[in-house]
Amino acid sequence: MEGDLVTRVIACIDNSAAARPVLEGARAIAPLFGAQVEAAHVTESDESADTTTAYTANVPLRTLHGETVDELVNLTQDQEVVAAVVGARGRPLGRQPAGHVALELADRAAALLVIVPPDARVREPIQRVLMAVKGTATNARSLERAIELTDVKDIELVVVHVDDEENIPSFSDQVQHETDEFIREFLARYVPAAPAARVALRIGRPADEILDTIDAEQPDLVAIGWRRNAGPDGGLVAREVVARSHVPVLLATVS
Amino acid sequence: MRFEFDPAWSLEIEGEDTERARVHSALLSLSGGGIGTSGGALLVRSKSVPWLFVDGIYDGTGPETQLLAGPVLSGLYLDVAGARLRRILDMRNGLLHERIGDEASGTALIRFVSLARQGILATRTVLTGSESRAAACLSAEAGHVIDEGATEDATWMRVAGSAGGIVAALCETSSSRVIDDVVAVEADSDAQPDPKLALGRLADAAGDGFDTLLEEQRRAWGERWEGADIRIAGDDQLQQATRFALFHLIGSAHENGESALGARGLTGSGYRGHVFWDADVFVLPFFAATQPAVARAMLEYRIRRLPAAQESARGWRRRGARFAWESARSGRDVTPSSARDRAGNLVPIRTGQLEEHIVADIAWAASHYIDWTGDRAFARGPGLALLVETARYWASRVRLDADGSAHIFGVIGPDEYHEPVDDNAFTNVMARWNLRRAAAAVDEARGVDDGVGPEEPTSWRTIADAIVDGYDETTGVYEQFAGFRGLEPMLIESVAPRRPIAADILLGSERVSSSQVIKQADVLMLHHLIPDEVRPGSLAANLRYYEPRTAHGSSLSPGVHASLFARAHDSVRALSSLGIASRIDLDDLTGTTAGGLHIATMGALWQAFVFGFAGVRPRANSLTIDPWLPEGWSALEIRVSFHGGRVHLRTTPDDLHVESDRPTAIEVDGDVFVATPGGLRFRAGTSGWRVIS
Repeated sequence: MEGDLVTRVIACIDNSAAARPVLEGARAIAPLFGAQVEAAHVTESDESADTTTAYTANVPLRTLHGETVDELVNLTQDQEVVAAVVGARGRPLGRQPAGHVALELADRAAALLVIVPPDARVREPIQRVLMAVKGTATNARSLERAIELTDVKDIELVVVHVDDEENIPSFSDQVQHETDEFIREFLARYVPAAPAARVALRIGRPADEILDTIDAEQPDLVAIGWRRNAGPDGGLVAREVVARSHVPVLLATVS
Repeated sequence: MRFEFDPAWSLEIEGEDTERARVHSALLSLSGGGIGTSGGALLVRSKSVPWLFVDGIYDGTGPETQLLAGPVLSGLYLDVAGARLRRILDMRNGLLHERIGDEASGTALIRFVSLARQGILATRTVLTGSESRAAACLSAEAGHVIDEGATEDATWMRVAGSAGGIVAALCETSSSRVIDDVVAVEADSDAQPDPKLALGRLADAAGDGFDTLLEEQRRAWGERWEGADIRIAGDDQLQQATRFALFHLIGSAHENGESALGARGLTGSGYRGHVFWDADVFVLPFFAATQPAVARAMLEYRIRRLPAAQESARGWRRRGARFAWESARSGRDVTPSSARDRAGNLVPIRTGQLEEHIVADIAWAASHYIDWTGDRAFARGPGLALLVETARYWASRVRLDADGSAHIFGVIGPDEYHEPVDDNAFTNVMARWNLRRAAAAVDEARGVDDGVGPEEPTSWRTIADAIVDGYDETTGVYEQFAGFRGLEPMLIESVAPRRPIAADILLGSERVSSSQVIKQADVLMLHHLIPDEVRPGSLAANLRYYEPRTAHGSSLSPGVHASLFARAHDSVRALSSLGIASRIDLDDLTGTTAGGLHIATMGALWQAFVFGFAGVRPRANSLTIDPWLPEGWSALEIRVSFHGGRVHLRTTPDDLHVESDRPTAIEVDGDVFVATPGGLRFRAGTSGWRVIS
């Protein structure tokens, strides 16, 4: 918390079934920021906001009118808003392709973005965070804020790093020493704020391996780097993880 | 202090960033006299954790045994933000310079680990402008500090491991804007060292003063370089990288008592300071040829662990001595039994049980030392014991078939992608060589009470002759192990996007073990180590067969291949392999340099120059010289010691000049000459080298 500022996590809901897990996700991550949860519903037409879900969750609801992404981006520009939580896919009968709002928000939101799949099993409080770390300086910078969030007592940080064919190491001498050496240096370089994090090493196709690690580790939240405005060919791993994860995904952005 | 250095003799690092801080700390680390310390910045708050290690001082037991971290000098940083930081390793003089700020007014620091006085580290800070600095202090990991104290002019701190400990004492003196910090280190592997010993050593050093210590340091390094330098005319980058390797090799071991040279020397905590074959096969030759007393201390480490090796052999129901694949304080095996691989899988580690060639490797080291030095007392004393006990091990290890052939089943060779294997050519031929060499050593040591029965040498020779080696007369190729030819034929270029590459990670251990892809030189290590024990003329065929199958996934591989390609006069491949070996840490090619430098790769680099390009080999009574230069080099100079004579060799594509400070027998193209201080000159001709003066 910064001074006396009352910080907020915005749950971006609509009339779909995704609203409930989005609200649950917002309530789960709010304690990481010491923030309060507020729901926001943007309507683009005469559609009326479904207030039931928010009221049931005992969360204040703000109804906005206009283009969905624009309104939500404006909302995140408020200094008090530290994160936005949005559903992974559009409404079941929505007019936009699945994931459109989420991915556009990822590029434009001023606050951190957490994307919640419609079938997510959200656990509260968050106890284990899985962070996908690529092992580049840029990626490490993008994840710094997410690492800070896990610096809370009783939250376990698990780092997953995947080697694919491009970054298979040139040498591997004695595995009984080499892996430890690699992990020690990897943490020092790319996760310096969490030297005690547990590291899960994988080899293969990054998205598959990260998703497999999610299944194995059963985290409450996944954090992955997101390069803004990378275009349709950028951020493919993160896109696939968002599309296939059953766990809320925090997109850690770097411009 | 001027801040200009000859690039051929220095390494400069500008600034310090989070990503490379620990790599730079390792690259700039300083070692000497059995002490090593990190090269992280002192004048700013470093992003790397400082450390100090002492040769042979461990903490913990079993596989968890690791080098004990000793007290380090700290508190030297200045409160200056944003100033330019430069560090320069002056390899010629064994000094690490550091400067904050600009050339004219920056604060400068010099530090070194004394090569001249065991256990002494010294630092001089020259303040300029308005900066001030708090008094330096000693610090260490909290859990290990057992006591600390102060005298009138010094402070001390002692840390304890599970058996021994390290004590450091610090004396700081200042005058005007110059602050000198001298640290004395005392260590004991079995008991807690008395702080009085460190304080006494400190009093002597501090009493003599920084300037005296600095002068001693320059002189000591000058003498080492005089006996070990390699000069390459035609490749400045390779020259600098070679000096970098030699610099760290020189500091990696010492001549006092025993020297336990771990896989990363004293340049980091990696590999926990465990001693592998790296020390005996890859590093020892450098010392045997340039500083024999250090090689002798490395062998002393093995000799003192002979009882543990004999106990191990008995445990395996063998005779003789079975040395540990990974060794630390006791000599008992400290290889972990399992580990996580890069895919996150828990894998069994069987090198401790099966990589038995270490037994013959140590025998080879002893023999190699004798070849370089002619050390008769060693050859008839502890060296003989090493050869005999290792031969006894192999004699009890082989299995004799009904047809009279001898086999060694269930081992791991240098190519660790395949395990276990039967009749590994490297293990078998090294064992054969070991048996024959021990029998010869017993003959040579007639009159020595060696406890060897009269029938034993005969028995060893009989067994040696019976050991199968997998050589195929038709192809001229040794089969790496029984059944290798039947594995899936696979050339590494067909499955890997590049080389070197860790093929076991790329393909998975099951796939790689069912194929002919290998990790590093295995059969070819025979041509490298014991060329007289393999079929004459078989290098080319085996190089042609095995190198395309080699992933070079071991950091030991490029240097050995550079040497072999040089012997095969393959300029392109020799230089390519040499380039990789020379940059392994400078470019952090393994991604693990932060944990310490690859000392064995540096040893292999030296071997590539000496064995490979210069074609220098020690024989019983003469030094064989057969130089060959690759394209681009106009000259190569090496310096070695042979049987007490300091030999200086300079070769160009057309000329060879050899001189020695005392008469030394050299063999060139089959003819024996005597090199003297006046030198011998040879000219290259169509039929080889011809002496001209």
